[in-house]
Amino acid sequence: MKFFWRAFALNLLLILHVHAGVLVFTAIPDEDESKLKERFGPMSEYLSKTLDIEVRYVPVKSYAAAVSAFRNGQVQLAWFGALSGVQARSTVLNSQALAQGVEDQAFWTYLIAHKSTGLKAGDVIDKSMRGMTMTFGSKSSTSGRLIPEFYLTERFGESPDKVFERVGYSGNHSRTLRLVESGSYDIGAINYAVWERELAAGNIDTDEVKVIWKTPAYPNYQWSIRGDVDGQFGAGFSDKVKAALLAMDDPKLLQSFARSAFIPAQNSDYAPIKRTAKQVGLID
Amino acid sequence: MSPLILNQAYADFGGTRVLGPISLHVQPGEHIALVGRSGAGKTTLLSLLYDRRRSDITFIPQTLGLVDTLSVFHNVYMGQLATHSGAYNLINLIRPFRTQIRAVTAVLEQLDMASTLWSRVGELSGGQRQRVAVARSLFQDADVLLADEPVSALDGPRSEAVMQALIKQNTTTIIAMHDLDLARRYANRLIGIQDGTIALDAPSRAVNTHDLDALY
Amino acid sequence: MRSTRPEHKRWSVLSAPLVRTSLWLLGIALVCVWLADLQIRSTAPWSELARFGRGLIQPDFATFDTAIVALTRTLAFAFTGVGAAAVLGMGLALIFHYRVVRIFCAFVRSIHELFWALIFLQFFGLHPITGVLAIALPYAATFGRVYSEILEEGDRGAVEALSAHSGLISIFWYARVPDLWAHLTSYTSYRFECGMRSSAVLGFVGMPTLGFYLESSYAEGQYGEVGMILLIFLITIGSLRLWLRPKLVVLYLLAAPFLLGAGLPIVWGNATRFFTVDIIPSPLRNGEGVAGLASWLGDLLLYQALPGIGTTLVLTQIALVGTGIVALLTFPLISRLFVDRFRQVPGHGLLIIGRSVPEYLLAYILLQLWGPSMLPAAVALVIHNGAIIGHLIGRQSSTLRLRPDVVGGFNCYTYEVVPRLYRSFLSFLLYRWEIIMRETAILGILGITTLGFYVDSAIQELRFDRALVLIFITALLNIGVDSLARTIRWQLRLRTTPAKLEAV
Repeated sequence: MKFFWRAFALNLLLILHVHAGVLVFTAIPDEDESKLKERFGPMSEYLSKTLDIEVRYVPVKSYAAAVSAFRNGQVQLAWFGALSGVQARSTVLNSQALAQGVEDQAFWTYLIAHKSTGLKAGDVIDKSMRGMTMTFGSKSSTSGRLIPEFYLTERFGESPDKVFERVGYSGNHSRTLRLVESGSYDIGAINYAVWERELAAGNIDTDEVKVIWKTPAYPNYQWSIRGDVDGQFGAGFSDKVKAALLAMDDPKLLQSFARSAFIPAQNSDYAPIKRTAKQVGLID
Repeated sequence: MSPLILNQAYADFGGTRVLGPISLHVQPGEHIALVGRSGAGKTTLLSLLYDRRRSDITFIPQTLGLVDTLSVFHNVYMGQLATHSGAYNLINLIRPFRTQIRAVTAVLEQLDMASTLWSRVGELSGGQRQRVAVARSLFQDADVLLADEPVSALDGPRSEAVMQALIKQNTTTIIAMHDLDLARRYANRLIGIQDGTIALDAPSRAVNTHDLDALY
Repeated sequence: MRSTRPEHKRWSVLSAPLVRTSLWLLGIALVCVWLADLQIRSTAPWSELARFGRGLIQPDFATFDTAIVALTRTLAFAFTGVGAAAVLGMGLALIFHYRVVRIFCAFVRSIHELFWALIFLQFFGLHPITGVLAIALPYAATFGRVYSEILEEGDRGAVEALSAHSGLISIFWYARVPDLWAHLTSYTSYRFECGMRSSAVLGFVGMPTLGFYLESSYAEGQYGEVGMILLIFLITIGSLRLWLRPKLVVLYLLAAPFLLGAGLPIVWGNATRFFTVDIIPSPLRNGEGVAGLASWLGDLLLYQALPGIGTTLVLTQIALVGTGIVALLTFPLISRLFVDRFRQVPGHGLLIIGRSVPEYLLAYILLQLWGPSMLPAAVALVIHNGAIIGHLIGRQSSTLRLRPDVVGGFNCYTYEVVPRLYRSFLSFLLYRWEIIMRETAILGILGITTLGFYVDSAIQELRFDRALVLIFITALLNIGVDSLARTIRWQLRLRTTPAKLEAV
């Protein structure tokens, strides 16, 4: 019996064993997992080849889990939305935004509506949507929550949970699309890139759901890296990663991101997002 | 009613013969006392008889089969569940009908139990419980009564009252009992069971003490 | 003799204390139904449900190997977590007579394993230890309580016969354990089955168990894949008795820690930071002092805790009564008194499915199908808990011996069986009250605005200080309901030991 418990305890110690020397990255789960795998599988191969070290992609279940993994040092690199990037970098000293897609300089959110609402596309938010049901994406999504919540609050003079009969959080953009398409929610807020890509792929029934409003442009997704990677992987490592990201030109890989190319980014690009998040009350 | 007939009937339990083969003819109007040592097979004989035909028979098992959580009223009323619809019974469970209360009270009065009408059966003494089971059987108002030691927990005068009520209510009775004196006074036919077979079957007037002693 | 006029004080079952308690619960639940939002939101809920049903009937085995890996992980987490909990729990049981231990256990137990996982994720991250501890901690607290109850009930005669110098440990192993072994192992194996469910659900927060794959497949509408995952989960739980053999358990426990998967390395600094920074209320961190703390706490209580508590209570009461109704309606399906052995098979199947699928998973599925409201959550809770209680009282009813001349069918149900079983039925139901509430709170993570919703929001916003306060409130609410249920059980003189109730 004693032997048995000792072996059991030893086993527990063994699994605490740590392995270093591998670059681990993650991404916010803003779309269906199969889409993410399609994107980040080849991505880790590309980084591994270019940087000549072992690279591993870890899928996570929520935006918060991605931010926590970055903050906790379990991943060194991450593909964040604007808000999650701001949240993550504010918790890790010297961490920086490395690169963003060309499209991320000026990103949009679409408000989409089910046909039963009778809402029409317009230049301003149609006030008759008061009292309907509305779904955001993830609670920590920039395009799926922060930005649309900001503009809705501005337009109605009160927060969405007062304007709408019900406010939901679908979890990601793919689900927002499906929930509004099926009529589970009247209105949804969706990342324009996801919408356009799904539209082009013929995955949207435009008789059922259509875009009714487009937000003003704002900066969005970016690659962020922790401040301590140079110490871990050797001097100049973050610059090497940055160069690798900017040099990415495989059309298939770029297409999986729905981006035409990656360009340099810096923390200050996201100052407006930080201000907005404070206004909406998502960060202290 | 038609006669109750057992023809070369037997009962096995776990591969061993516990009763029979037994042949028995019971005519309407007969009041039979089953006597014999405990374990002789009286209970088994009663259940064999009970298995023959059900609709006009009422049965008081030794275990009584009462529902402790329900009141005396409901336990007695259960004798007539089969004559009413399920909905009627359900309503009566929640809010007893006046007519049923009167009918049940009348039965309980014969047994000196009217004051316990609304007591929960679980709170009653052994003798009171036995009389509730008797009341249920009386309330069922069947032709034939099969009873397994229905007065074992009652004192003299009370057991007399119960026996009287049972004989009066049912045209035919077959009652297992160990009080030989009581058996001889209320039954007109005595059947003695010994080792799973009928050792004695005679009109009670014709049976003497010696015959009975041989059974024990 | 008292003169009584029975006609004037008509007694009905409604005036029995047990029934009166039930009616109070029913009345409260009806008010809650009126308060609750129970609409079906989606426009085509039934066609989607049918599509889902087709997936279940025609499972898709293309990704079978991934699912088997996930199943192995699920088993590994359950074995490691429950195994560690059993050892810890036995230790706790031996010192359970100390008030501080009892309070500690009650508190740890009142926090759901998913909340524990969310807490541990903050400092261990996606490392297997997060999942193992999330199971081990609350389970150890439960084991502590139940083991101590089992030990209390056992016969102490053998202990008193031994020399006082035999040593506490030896006395324990020689004079106590052998006597109670069967009782202890049957309860432990029941909890292992619960551990399997917990382990699967931990996938929803990122552990590599079945829940992880189920969530992905479900979100993408791969119902065939969902069907496959559910099928292998059900088969594994359904066949528990076949492979959970005492000798094999030793083997399983030794192998399990190696099969948890690697996860990500732990950075120990995070644990320190969690306790010294993360959970310190932000006004204190930012030097706003006690005044700032008061307004911070006030806002948190008023705008999150209070509405969260309201919704949690409303949903709990509805689910509790619904559970009771479903249990009373379904137990005849598996009772010898109503259905013959052969026809019990579909009933057994139904109840096994109902109690094997975790309510979190059921709620997740129904939420996607019917849209967001309390309805899917309530239905999930009712199905799962109703099946558990239905199974228990169904089994108990089969041991009842009715008189031979009893009438069958509905009359037998209302007059003979239910009155006899009502005591243990209510006792089971009151025991599950706290469990239902704990589960109700956690369903908030799926988007129903119970306390879990606000906890999840706080964690999504990386505000662990708020999350911890809300989790603490949830725990207090659970402890409150638990002691209320205990008081009621005590007043009605119902059996109180869960060990007896669960491991029947």
